[in-house]
Amino acid sequence: MSRSIRFLCLASMLGFALVFMGAAKDAHKASPPARTRKPPVDAKIGVISIITGQGAGYGEAITNGFKLARDEVNAKGNVKIELVIEDSSGKQEQALAAAQKLINSSQVVAILGPTLSTEMKVVGPEANASGVPIMGTSTTAAGITQIGKYVFRNSLPESLAIPASVRKAVKKYNIRKVAILYGNDDVFTKSGFDSMKKASEDLKLDILTVETFQKGQADYKAQLTKIKNLSPDAVFCSALYEEGAVILSQARKIGIKTPFVGGNGFNSPKVIEIAKGAAEGLVVATPWFADRNTPKVTAFVARYEKAYGKKPDQFAAQAYDALYIMAEALGNAGKADRKLLRDSLAGIRNFDGVLGKFSFDAERDVVMEPNVLIIKGGKFQMFK
Amino acid sequence: MPFDWLNPYHLQVASFILINVILGVSIYVTLATGQLSLGNAGFMSIGAYTSAILTTGHGVPMVAGIVSGSLLAGVSGILVGIPALRLSGVYLAIATLGFGEVVRVVFINWESLTGGAVGIAAIPQMGREILAALRDAGFSPESLGLQNNQFISLAVFVILSVTTLAVILFFLRLANSRVGRAYGAIRMDEAAAEATGIDTTYYKVLAFSQGALLSGLAGALYAHATSYVSPADFTYHRAVEILVFAVFGGSEHLLGPVFGAMFLTVIPEVLRFVNDYRHIIYGTLLVLMMVFRPQGVIDPPLLDRLSGREPAEGH
Repeated sequence: MSRSIRFLCLASMLGFALVFMGAAKDAHKASPPARTRKPPVDAKIGVISIITGQGAGYGEAITNGFKLARDEVNAKGNVKIELVIEDSSGKQEQALAAAQKLINSSQVVAILGPTLSTEMKVVGPEANASGVPIMGTSTTAAGITQIGKYVFRNSLPESLAIPASVRKAVKKYNIRKVAILYGNDDVFTKSGFDSMKKASEDLKLDILTVETFQKGQADYKAQLTKIKNLSPDAVFCSALYEEGAVILSQARKIGIKTPFVGGNGFNSPKVIEIAKGAAEGLVVATPWFADRNTPKVTAFVARYEKAYGKKPDQFAAQAYDALYIMAEALGNAGKADRKLLRDSLAGIRNFDGVLGKFSFDAERDVVMEPNVLIIKGGKFQMFK
Repeated sequence: MPFDWLNPYHLQVASFILINVILGVSIYVTLATGQLSLGNAGFMSIGAYTSAILTTGHGVPMVAGIVSGSLLAGVSGILVGIPALRLSGVYLAIATLGFGEVVRVVFINWESLTGGAVGIAAIPQMGREILAALRDAGFSPESLGLQNNQFISLAVFVILSVTTLAVILFFLRLANSRVGRAYGAIRMDEAAAEATGIDTTYYKVLAFSQGALLSGLAGALYAHATSYVSPADFTYHRAVEILVFAVFGGSEHLLGPVFGAMFLTVIPEVLRFVNDYRHIIYGTLLVLMMVFRPQGVIDPPLLDRLSGREPAEGH
């Protein structure tokens, strides 16, 4: 018996080790910041991001966005930003330790990140208590900026994105009866569901059924068959693209032909890659649309592609804008002081970035007009 | 400031080390009777959620919350232990692993109580509560030359140190008591232990629930150190992480998992300067460890050598 225990220990330990080894990504090393001669504002900004482990893909896009923006800001010369990047592995404890390190050891003037809403719920109160402005660039759950007056975000919350896509779809397709399907074990998809439910109630839609699924599920036929039998006008689905793409393809296979309306989580080219033809007609709301033809967006996409060899996704775009917002606030504040920076951040209005016009509201949350997109002909297009 | 060297970051890491040490002890206690339980993440979540719900929603004082969290975890340990301990070895491991998942799924779905996947935020944080209480009593950390955040982290660290030390001392003493001897006998040979008159079921359930209680305690402390809990904190990964403390440090002496927890919590922090590669190094360390010292870093012969005693018989 003790041998079998030993074996089991060994096996799980090896598995554990391998997961970590496989997960660590070859991200890019932080290059030393470009030096300019007489910079009026010299600031050290901390970044908490997922560099190793599950979700490192998001972290990589985000840090790339920061670095690209930093190099551009530093080249302009009126603000000189040094980034101190710390890894959180997507875990609250590590994110908190990283925040403590940035706040107390590195003495940063502000923090960008962390990546996940769950991490922000732990790190936010600490930064707030220490009087360090912190801005989430990918935290979309409810109740983030309500943590305290030092907590900001520039990531479009689901509570803004989903009503936009729902409203447009309802108007266009004349939707009355809906079925809702969501992942109930994830903060992001759960928040999305709450917004969907509220949006449906506001529009007085008839909710026929609410179905749930779990992360990593492979078979959604039970839920989808039930939905099909109720014959709704549309299916609202709050999912991340990994599950969402599979749901779409299974739904079309069993013959659900109604439009699908999703949140921000569906906004990935991967949906089209995985679901192929089944992705046609999916409506999503998103802050980021790479094919929007404004000079700012085109230039950003070109520079990002040149630097990192791929198109920027929404996480890179949000990070890129976030650093510019920080730079603008630093410029307005006149010096790298935590309190002054907080006040000048809170005053940011009508900032013109790659995501469009951006303002903070009185609660330091996002004010912006989301883009509503539809998948047509195998790519995302503006939904009109 | 006289205490400039007192860095909240270091205290934070130290606090997580202490919580993990308690978790390390919790898995050691069940291993001490030869039972491999992977349910510690589940018991930890029971402790964390109980205390979080009581203190956040019902205005229960934190100490009472932590105590009831640990006790509830301990009681569930007894309830789970009685049927589960009919199993042994890998079967017990699978059953307890299943238990942990069941608890997590309950927390996800019992939305009215637990907030579902979103979790519970704004849980009173130990240090901040103490500071607030002391401020009301007219004390200010500045009078000691401490900044607020230094004081908060220091308070958390002190509470955790005292608790952890008490836990370690208790179980060191226990090892040499009648109970500890019974555990050892069961671990070496259950049938022989039974034959010498040891009530094996009683002692196995006792060890199992002691482990559960400790996990619950660690969970409750964790909730009040980070001020946020969600079901995602208590997955299979957490269970394995706790197990690794014991396997890495050594499961034959209490100090093994204690060392394992300390070392494995410090390493990812120390390796921060290599950012991208730190988990590769962490993983490599574990693999090398398994190859060259499969019994763990600390085992009784090593302790004997360190304390200059003659190796005890039987090793």
